[in-house]
Amino acid sequence: MTAEYDVEFVEREDRDARFLVRGVTPAFANGIRRAMVADVPTMAIDTVRFVENSSVMFDEQLALRLGLVPLTTPPEGEFVEDDTVTLSIDVEGPATAYSGDLVSSDDLVQPADDNVPIIELKDGQRLEAEADAVLERGKNHAKHQGGVAVGYRHLQRVSVVDDLPEFEEQESQIVRGVIEDDGELVPTSEFDHDLSNRYPGKQVEVEDVPNAFVFRVETDGSFTVEELVTRAVDSIEARATELEDAVQL
Amino acid sequence: MSYKCSRCKRDVQIDEYGGVRCPYCGHRVLLKERSRDVKEVGVN
Repeated sequence: MTAEYDVEFVEREDRDARFLVRGVTPAFANGIRRAMVADVPTMAIDTVRFVENSSVMFDEQLALRLGLVPLTTPPEGEFVEDDTVTLSIDVEGPATAYSGDLVSSDDLVQPADDNVPIIELKDGQRLEAEADAVLERGKNHAKHQGGVAVGYRHLQRVSVVDDLPEFEEQESQIVRGVIEDDGELVPTSEFDHDLSNRYPGKQVEVEDVPNAFVFRVETDGSFTVEELVTRAVDSIEARATELEDAVQL
Repeated sequence: MSYKCSRCKRDVQIDEYGGVRCPYCGHRVLLKERSRDVKEVGVN
């Protein structure tokens, strides 16, 4: 892989972003994707102690629901893998217990969203539990996946070849992702994914730009997209260094 | 083992030879009470 590469954001929000990476091989692009899904440690509930559960659901079902509540992950260095943080919940019906009812012992580890429903409690029902959250990786359990929707596509270059012949009806030509048009990056959603809307009466040619990939990354709220990508790349670097050291021995 | 009568809601202890019947109201439907111990569940 060449050392020269370039990153450009197409859309950028805290939890959802689309960015273009140029100058990386398909193998490296896939390596980043896999690292984002499986190799970035995040906090998630791993053990639940039920003091009282008079709801209609079994303890095990509620424990699974609590395990899937995304928790904010502290900055690197604050925790090491297998460190635990305790959270507690105590809700009495009639009410719905939400993720926002979880009270954490550490300010750095909080539910990423307050509105994830856990259980609807009827009159007289009560849920009281204590849970331990641990720092683990997505490859151990899906609840530890920070990146929930991570994928990439080739950047597509569109060039106008010719005018459409007279009396020929233009057919729709669907593309998805981001196109490059005269050096400008255009999300296909801007023209309803149909090139005939953007280039009426023109014949166009679409080709993949070599070694240019448009990543679409969405996180579960454990951290921002920027943080997820940086940590994923750091994990690849750490493993590469480990391999290099092992080979030299 | 502690049970609760589904009709009179009283706590009932059933013994091995007495059969399943509430000693207070004679009802035959008894509900098993949840243990008061803290139960630990792993999320796997």
